[in-house]
Amino acid sequence: MEQRRIFEQVFTTESAIAAFVFLVVLCALAYSLIRRRARAGATPSPHAERQRLETVYVVVLVGIAAFLVVYTASANDREHPGGESHAAGRGVEAAHPVTVDVTAFQWCWKFSHPAPGPSRAGEATTTANCRDGRLPTLVVPTGRTVRLKITSQDVIHSLWVPALRYKMDAFPDHTNSFTLKIDKEGKWIGRCAEFCGNRHHSMDFWLKAVSPDEYEEWVQQHQGAAPTPEAST
Amino acid sequence: MTLAPDAARSTGASRSVRPRSWLGWAISTDHKRIGLLTMGTAVVLLFLMGILALLMRSQLAQPEQQVFSPDLYNQLFSIHGSGMIYMVMTPFAIGLGVYLVPLQVGAPAIAMPRTTLFGYWLYALGAVLMLTGFAMPTGAHADGWFSYPPMASSVYTPGNGTPLWIVGVFAATVGSLGMGWAVLWTALRKRARGMTMLRLPIFTWSMIASTLMVIGAFPSLLAALTLLAIGRVEPSVFDSNVWNIGYQHLFWFYGHPVVYVMFFPYLGAVGEVLAVFSRRRFFGYKGTVISLLVFAALSMSVWGHHMFATGQATNDYYSLTSIALLVPAGIEYFALVGTVLGGQLVFTTPMLFALAFIPQFLIGGLSGIMVGTPVIDYHVTDSYFVVAHLHYVLFAGSAFGLFAAVYFWWPKVTGFLLDERLGRVHFVLLVIGTNLTFLPMFWLGQFGMPRRVATYPEWAGFGALNLVSSIGAAFLAAGMIAFAMNIQVSFRRRPKAPADPWQGHSLEWATASPPPRYNFTPHLPLPPITSNAPLLDARTRQGQGRA
Ligand code: HEM
Ligand SMILES: [Cu+2]
Ligand SMILES: [Cu+2]
Repeated sequence: MEQRRIFEQVFTTESAIAAFVFLVVLCALAYSLIRRRARAGATPSPHAERQRLETVYVVVLVGIAAFLVVYTASANDREHPGGESHAAGRGVEAAHPVTVDVTAFQWCWKFSHPAPGPSRAGEATTTANCRDGRLPTLVVPTGRTVRLKITSQDVIHSLWVPALRYKMDAFPDHTNSFTLKIDKEGKWIGRCAEFCGNRHHSMDFWLKAVSPDEYEEWVQQHQGAAPTPEAST
Repeated sequence: MTLAPDAARSTGASRSVRPRSWLGWAISTDHKRIGLLTMGTAVVLLFLMGILALLMRSQLAQPEQQVFSPDLYNQLFSIHGSGMIYMVMTPFAIGLGVYLVPLQVGAPAIAMPRTTLFGYWLYALGAVLMLTGFAMPTGAHADGWFSYPPMASSVYTPGNGTPLWIVGVFAATVGSLGMGWAVLWTALRKRARGMTMLRLPIFTWSMIASTLMVIGAFPSLLAALTLLAIGRVEPSVFDSNVWNIGYQHLFWFYGHPVVYVMFFPYLGAVGEVLAVFSRRRFFGYKGTVISLLVFAALSMSVWGHHMFATGQATNDYYSLTSIALLVPAGIEYFALVGTVLGGQLVFTTPMLFALAFIPQFLIGGLSGIMVGTPVIDYHVTDSYFVVAHLHYVLFAGSAFGLFAAVYFWWPKVTGFLLDERLGRVHFVLLVIGTNLTFLPMFWLGQFGMPRRVATYPEWAGFGALNLVSSIGAAFLAAGMIAFAMNIQVSFRRRPKAPADPWQGHSLEWATASPPPRYNFTPHLPLPPITSNAPLLDARTRQGQGRA
């Protein structure tokens, strides 16, 4: 849940800065509304400019911008240590992640877990049709780095797990990938975030994290079996 | 008295077109008539697109509602968004420039009047074509205002709605380009004697920056639309990722600058209103001029921030340029707030709208820095957070600037006054409605509601916030009814407006309301142009003379 941690950190910082700026402007406005009313006997200021003040202010603005650029770029690099279109997750084991091939289509998802080794014989696949609550489940092991390779069969979709605070688009004729690592067992909703037609609003799936042992078992159970439209809620 | 050389021509009052003939309006090359046609068309469409929004809000008020089929809902949000951007906020901004810039620079006419007129008719034609989609058996365009391929190709969206949308948006954009050229050329080449660049009113400067972006960025939309049109004839084009992602680059190279085309003119209008009703000179004029130009230049380099989640953009670079925008934006806020801080405030209706613009647009701007931050944007992009952000910018910000402009210049343009009481009702309802409607959307996005969904399931827990938002929409509807009534009452009662009802600063207030065909005449001569607020200077001199 590296993405979520980084998101919370940066979002909190920027919200605090935003709230501060908003309050300053609000106070200035409130002061003007009360003290600078014509009826309160204010007289207009003769100054058309305050160049010294403005220069200092611009320097401060540049400073804030520079801080934000460096701060947010470093957060982004922490989230994607291997470059933008992958990563998050570190260490030796990140080199041998569990891989899942995600295929989006109008209007549902297919998740394939290739077995280790060159042949795709031992692949475990799940899918569904996303109708009437029949959602497919993306099963991943906890504590291990999982690499999702995302593509699409038709139009652009986007894989979004709000609980992870992360999404990535699924393009036809192109594969994106990112890695994630989930530290506790659980089940979270995932959705399609890129408009893809009439059933875009119900193109959901479940992300389920289970212990590594359970995961092995799950893969063996589903190996070779034809993709089953899995009913689950 | 300085008088623009060709202003002398205007004595021939007989040259003006007969006022009551509709043809006189349709083919007049008077920039004031073209400007009014443009703004009038845009306001009618604003009401229409607002009604589409109310229909959407009625469907979203509760979970799992099916007032409209998903297909119809998709048409609603697509035409609402496209209409508001291509046919309302952009043309109104440019139309305001067509009307005001010649007056503000002391010119008798606009440069290239026929191009301007042609531009208007292209825009009107484009709007009609886009809306004709609703009369097609397969319905109107349903792929959103940016219509990504391959979704918008003829394979996934067959029917005539999308072709009509392509042609309509293309026509309107060519029209905007033509009008934009004319406005820019007028500001640069048609200035009266004594009107130096640094004496141009802040509104005219905002139009210069906007039209520079129009010229730099709008052709890229034409290219994107052409690509889409080719792909509809030959869909295999979009089998290749290159063209799909290429379309996004072409589109957003236009799509970000246009956001500022829909912002600067309203900011300029707000600046004028704030200065006039603070009874002082606009504060920080030079800084604002520079910041507008820097802003316009930077805006051409940020487009990729709409593509952070594509996995195919250089996110750190686009984030850098996006965040850098806070510097010019901050300078503009310094000027707005500074003007008010040292003012002597008079609370007319235009002033109320201009004052509300400041904090409300700020919410849009601050949330804009957030969505410009990749690690935040991955989560919130394509969610209701973005819907909240863009409506704070465009509605709580720009549309409030639009209303400030309407209330401010209405007496000048029509010669009648608007009712202040109805104006205040309009204002209060709009402030309540805007924040009730759009504030909850930030949380909806955070909690996981994607944008462009025709409905949402009960278990998602989005019901309460959506209900609040829809109740807010009802306030907005009531406010807009008050606005419509105000216009109607003004036309019926025709309370006579003086030439300068507000103690204005810039040249348009020196001539009659409404201004004569060639703006200034020997009886209504140009005053001496001494600064960016010549009428304020004149009043100050008079005051000193009396003392
Ligand atoms: C100047 C005024 C406005 C502008 C410029 C504007 C612009 C937009 C744009 C660009 C979109 C996105 C369309 C798309 O996803 O392709 C949109 C969507 C939407 N707007 Fe507006 N809008 C305005 C006023 C309003 C008002 C007053 C309301 C509410 C009463 C409203 C409610 C909505 C809703 C519900 C959506 C659909 C969100 C979705 O399904 O993703 N808008 N608007
Ligand atoms: Cu999808
Ligand atoms: Cu979708």
